[in-house]
Amino acid sequence: MTKPRVAIFDFACCEGCQLQIVNLEEEILDLIGTVDVVEWREAMSEQSHDYDIAIIEGSITRLEDEKRIEIIRSRAKILIALGACATIGGVNKLKNNFSITDVKSCVYGKHADMPHLDTYYTKAIDEIVPVDFKVHGCPINGREFAAIVRALLLGKKPFVPDYPVCVECKALENVCRWEYNEPCLGPIIRAGCEAKCPSAGYRCFGCRGYVDHPNVDAAREVIDKYGLSLDDLRTRMVLFGSKQGPTL
Amino acid sequence: MSVSKLNKQQFGQFVDAILAAGRKVVGVVAKNDRFVFNTLKSAKDLRLDYDVTILSPRKYVLPQVEPLLTFEVGGDAKSVKQNEPMILLGIHPYDLIAINQMDELFSEGEYDTHYMDRRKNITLVACDVAKASKNVFASSMETAVADKGYDILITDIGDAYLLDAATEKGQALMAYAKGAAAATAEDLKKRNAIQEANKTGLNKHKLNCKPSYLPKLMETAYNHPVWEEKARLCYSCGSCNQVCPTCYCFDVQDRVNWDLKTGTRVRCWDGCLLENFATVAGNHNFRKDRSARFRHRLYRKAKYVPEKIGGQIACVGCGRCVTACTADIANPVTVYNRLMEERTIG
Repeated sequence: MTKPRVAIFDFACCEGCQLQIVNLEEEILDLIGTVDVVEWREAMSEQSHDYDIAIIEGSITRLEDEKRIEIIRSRAKILIALGACATIGGVNKLKNNFSITDVKSCVYGKHADMPHLDTYYTKAIDEIVPVDFKVHGCPINGREFAAIVRALLLGKKPFVPDYPVCVECKALENVCRWEYNEPCLGPIIRAGCEAKCPSAGYRCFGCRGYVDHPNVDAAREVIDKYGLSLDDLRTRMVLFGSKQGPTL
Repeated sequence: MSVSKLNKQQFGQFVDAILAAGRKVVGVVAKNDRFVFNTLKSAKDLRLDYDVTILSPRKYVLPQVEPLLTFEVGGDAKSVKQNEPMILLGIHPYDLIAINQMDELFSEGEYDTHYMDRRKNITLVACDVAKASKNVFASSMETAVADKGYDILITDIGDAYLLDAATEKGQALMAYAKGAAAATAEDLKKRNAIQEANKTGLNKHKLNCKPSYLPKLMETAYNHPVWEEKARLCYSCGSCNQVCPTCYCFDVQDRVNWDLKTGTRVRCWDGCLLENFATVAGNHNFRKDRSARFRHRLYRKAKYVPEKIGGQIACVGCGRCVTACTADIANPVTVYNRLMEERTIG
């Protein structure tokens, strides 16, 4: 059996999710042994146009990137979106809350109109091309990524949780952040992170995006029971939830 | 069998002697301002004065993730058992009753050797409730005290503990109890008073009927508006399932190693409130609506499980779901009382 050829590409992102792959440490050799990595800017010099699986990190923020992702899609049999920037737009979508002119002048000042600084509203990968699989999170969970890759190599559908973070959080015997009157996004956000933030004493920030059918109407009413306002919740959804799916 | 008495110091020595003998003991310990069952390292960490633990001891009887077998694609499969002997120390009567129910459920019909082999190696040391938790309603469910199902029952009578060893397993453990005296009639009177008080005192939510009436109540409740009304606020987060001592539903998953040939089949906790709990092959979900899932949980407790195990209600009144539910819709008492008020039969 020939090994599948894999290429890893990055767009607008911090490249932290690729780093999580490198951080697989003892497993990275197994991974590299199972596939043939033909392009990976962060870890090697070689490049190739011939690959079966394309792994995309980052979101699309420039017109030229749209063309680039379309070309990658046309070459790949399977396309995987890696990390929140790629799957939901991530932190990059914060800028979609403002006018693009304001954003550009705020960041680039008097050079805002230079052609090499041209930028537009952030899009997740699946807003441009079809995505076969999503590896959620900011950053991704390396173990989950490894399990998804193994499933794909076997031709099986990878297991990605379709339930909220609460499932993993409760299993770890964390006290619910809501019991401390802290609006946590756990009940509407997809699990798979092993409830890292609540386990460390923080609320869920929502980096893995919404579950398939988040009960947003419930969120609206439940917030009242805790003597909090809808804005308390809204402000906590801005970081990863801006212009993404169901909003309050 | 007779009831023994150990003063508090002797009791600590009893627990430490068990640990010194190399036995695995899981007991109730503090976790920040709450309590959890965890591996016990020393008697001084044990907190029998606890109100309720975050998760029930179910996590040791039916682990959250349990290997069932290892396999090789195209080759053989080999059964794996996770049945390390252990002593579960400090189980409240309501949790004990939940474990006893699970024993019946996993041995009736298709006998579950993975569960039962593990269970046979577990010694159940129960203890009477010393402090009511904020949402307990065990008195309403008639599960506030237990007169069977334990290997040893501990009761704190103030200056001493009474230990009632009811089985051979329990008697064997008592060999570690040095300096034990026989409980006097006066001691037993104190124990009786504590148990009698718990029978009515662990009742932060009052069920307006005998629990034995619930299966009958459910007969005409299937189309009641309460399911829709409550489920409207349901996040489908499964928190109520996770914390429940009587929930035992599981999912089975295959985890493949990097050689892409060998792997492990595991079972892990599932929850009937989760959106895809009832999704089957072909992506068909036969319990698509939140209200159908919400209803199922309360029917299971009050009707489906009782029909399997001689009428025992599969809600033991621990109150954990009441605390765990962010939307405050999980309380079974609220729903059953509502159905009582609006019931259409006598």
